[in-house]
Amino acid sequence: MDTENLGAGLGGIYLDNNATTMIAPEVVEAMRPYLETYYGNASSQHGFGVPVGHAMERAREQVADFVGAEHPDEIIFTSCATESDNTAIWSSLWTQGQRNEIVTTAVEHPAIMNTCAFLEAHGVKVHYLRPDHQGMLDESAFAALLSDKTALASVMWANNETGNIYPVERLSSIARERGVLFHSDAVQAAGKIPLDVKATDISMLSVSGHKIHAPKGIGFLYVRRGTRFIPFMKGGHQERGRRAGTENIAYIVGLGVACEMAKAHLGEMGTRVRALRDRLQQGLLSRIPECFVTGNEQCRTPNTLNIAFKFVEGEAILLMLNEYGIAASSGSACSSESLLPSHVMQAMGVPFSAAHGTIRFSLSRYTTQEEVDRTVEVLPGIIEQLRSYSPYWKGGKPQIAGQDHDFDPDSSEVRA
Amino acid sequence: MWDYSDKVKDHFLHPRNARVIEDANAVGDVGSIICGDALRLMLKIDPATSVITDAAFQTYGCGSAIASSSALTEMIKGKTLDEAQKITNQDIVDYLGGLPAEKMHCSVMGREALDAAVANFHGKTYEQSHDDGELVCHCFGVGINKIRKAVWENHLTTVEEVTNYTKAGGGCGSCHQRISEIIDEVWEDLEKCGVPRPGYQPTPIGGIKIAVSTGPSAAPAAAAGQSFDDETRGAPSFGKVTEVLREIDAGLGANGSGAALSSIRGDKVAVLLKGPAAEGMMREMTRLFVAQRLSDALGSKVEVEVA
Repeated sequence: MDTENLGAGLGGIYLDNNATTMIAPEVVEAMRPYLETYYGNASSQHGFGVPVGHAMERAREQVADFVGAEHPDEIIFTSCATESDNTAIWSSLWTQGQRNEIVTTAVEHPAIMNTCAFLEAHGVKVHYLRPDHQGMLDESAFAALLSDKTALASVMWANNETGNIYPVERLSSIARERGVLFHSDAVQAAGKIPLDVKATDISMLSVSGHKIHAPKGIGFLYVRRGTRFIPFMKGGHQERGRRAGTENIAYIVGLGVACEMAKAHLGEMGTRVRALRDRLQQGLLSRIPECFVTGNEQCRTPNTLNIAFKFVEGEAILLMLNEYGIAASSGSACSSESLLPSHVMQAMGVPFSAAHGTIRFSLSRYTTQEEVDRTVEVLPGIIEQLRSYSPYWKGGKPQIAGQDHDFDPDSSEVRA
Repeated sequence: MWDYSDKVKDHFLHPRNARVIEDANAVGDVGSIICGDALRLMLKIDPATSVITDAAFQTYGCGSAIASSSALTEMIKGKTLDEAQKITNQDIVDYLGGLPAEKMHCSVMGREALDAAVANFHGKTYEQSHDDGELVCHCFGVGINKIRKAVWENHLTTVEEVTNYTKAGGGCGSCHQRISEIIDEVWEDLEKCGVPRPGYQPTPIGGIKIAVSTGPSAAPAAAAGQSFDDETRGAPSFGKVTEVLREIDAGLGANGSGAALSSIRGDKVAVLLKGPAAEGMMREMTRLFVAQRLSDALGSKVEVEVA
C-alpha cells in the first residue's frame, strides 16, 4: 500500500462533493478582475463603483434564474448558507411576534438544528418531524405539526448524508394553506436537481456557493416578494436594507457564474453523474458482502451514495481510502466531534453497529469513470482487511452472539 | 482527525499481531460495537513463569483503536504479568508517539483489555474483578471508578478531557456536572499527595443566566385597551382596520417601532406611530405602507394620516 497521502491536485480522487467542491476554473477566471482591478464599492456612485454594481446585478440575475426566482431582487447575497438559515429563522420570529413555534425535521443540517436548539433553550417551541427508516417524511404528520403559533416551517430540499430528496413543493403548499411561512435549506439540492421556486409556495430558500463549484464564504437567501423580513445582520443599507455589510463582489460574481454553469450541467448530473453513482453502488454492493445503502434509493440526489458496511468502523475505512488518495466521508462517531454516530443515521433508526460503518460518496460533474472504477477496485480489499481485524468477523462471515463471546451487533446492551 | 503520528499510521496500516490465538489461555473483551470500538486481546501465558509468550488482538474501531491494540501486544510480549500490569494508558500513548486528544480513550481501552485478559486468566470475568461503581455516563455505560482512575493517572482537569479518555460525557451530556464533581474529588486526593492542580479556580456557586429575547415583545404602539370614539368604533371598516394595524404593529416591533389606530373618518384613517418607524423619512414610508395594506385589505382606497 502506498503510505504517501495523495491530496487534491496530486492525483487524488475526490468523492466528497457534499462537503465542498472544487472551484470551477471558469469561476476563478470570472472572479479575477474583481480581485485585481475592479475594487470599487458596489454602493459608490463614481466610476469605480458603477461597473462593480452592474456586475453584482448581473450575478443576481444569474442566481435568480438558477433557482427560478421571478424577480432578481428576491435574491439576498450572504456569507454562507448557515447565515441564510439563521436569517430565515430569526426573521420569521421577529416579524411574527405572536408566533413562537418552529416546525422542522430531525435530519436537518446543524445550521438549522443548532439554531433551533438555541431557540428552544430560550422559549421557542420546536417540533421535529421524524423520518422513517428510509429517511422519508410523512406529509400528514408534517401538516399536523403546523398551527397558528408556527412562525416557520423549515425542511431541507435534500439531505447531505443520504441524498434523500424531500417533497418541499407539496410541503410548502400545505404550509401555505395553513398560513405558515415555509423555508427550505436547498444547499444539497442546488446543482443536483432542478429548482424552481416560483412554481412552489416556498417563501425563503438557502443556498451555499461552495457546494456548486463557487468559493467558500458566499451564499444567498431567496426571499419571495411580499414576505415580511427583518435583516439578521444590521448595519448599512446594502442588499436593499436586507443584509448589511459591503458586498463581497468577487465572490458574488463567482457565485453568479457558478449558478449559470450549474444550471447548464443539470442534465449531465441527472444522466452521466447518476450513471457513475449507480455504477459505484452496483460495483460495491456486488463485491462486498454485508453492506447496504442507507436512505431512499428511489428518491436521492443523483450524485450521492451512502453505504453502511457492517462490522467495520467508518474512520478506519476513510483512513485506508486516504492511503489510496480517495476522499469520502463517514457518519461514524470516530470521524466526528461527538462520540455518537451522525444524527441523521440516528433519526433514521439505523442501528449504531451499522451507523458506525457508514461511508458517504458524493460525486460531481468532474468525477470520471476511472475514478469510480478505481474506488470499486480498492474498497473491497480495504473492507476485507479491516474485517479480518474485527472480532465480529470470522472466516469471511459475521460472528454473531452467543458463540464464544457476547458480541452482538443487534444487542441493545451498551458497554464501555 | 487525520493528525496521527507516523507511528500510529504505521501500526494502523501494518498492525502487529492482528490475528487469533486459538489456544489462548487469557482473553479479554472490552468495548462494544454499539459504542464504535471493541477490542479482544488474546494472550498465551506460561503458567509456570507468568511470562506472556504470545499476544494478539482483534479490534473493531477507528485507526487509533487498531494502532493502540497493535502497540499493546508489542509492549507486553515477553513480559511477566506483573511487569505488563505496570503499563499505563499513557505508556501506550508514548509508545505510539502521541494520540490526538479526542482519541485518548483508545489507549484506555487497550489498558482495560489487558486487565480483562488477566482477570480471565485467573478464572474471573472482568466484571467480577473490577467494580465499576456508580454508573455515571448512561450513554456509554461508564462507571465512576473508570473516571476516577483516568483522572488520577492522567491528571485530567476538565470534563472534555475525561470524555476524551473514557468517553464518559460524550453522549447526551447530562452527566457533565457529575463528572466535574468527580474531578474535584480526585484532585482533593491528588493535592494531598503533593500534586498541584494546574490553574484551578473553584467554580462560583450558581450559574449565570443570560436572558435572550427570541422575538419582539408584543408592545402595542398605543396604550392597550385604548378607547375609540363612537364614529371610529361604528365604522364598517373598524374590525379589518384594527386587525391589519395589529399585524403591522407586530411586524414593526423588533426595533421598538409600532403602529396603532387613532380614529376612522369614512375612508380616512388616522394612525399613531412610534419608534424609528415614526421618525424622519421612515414616517412617510410607514404612512404609505399602512395606506397600501389597508387599501388592499378593504378593497378600496384608504387615506392615512399620522395622528
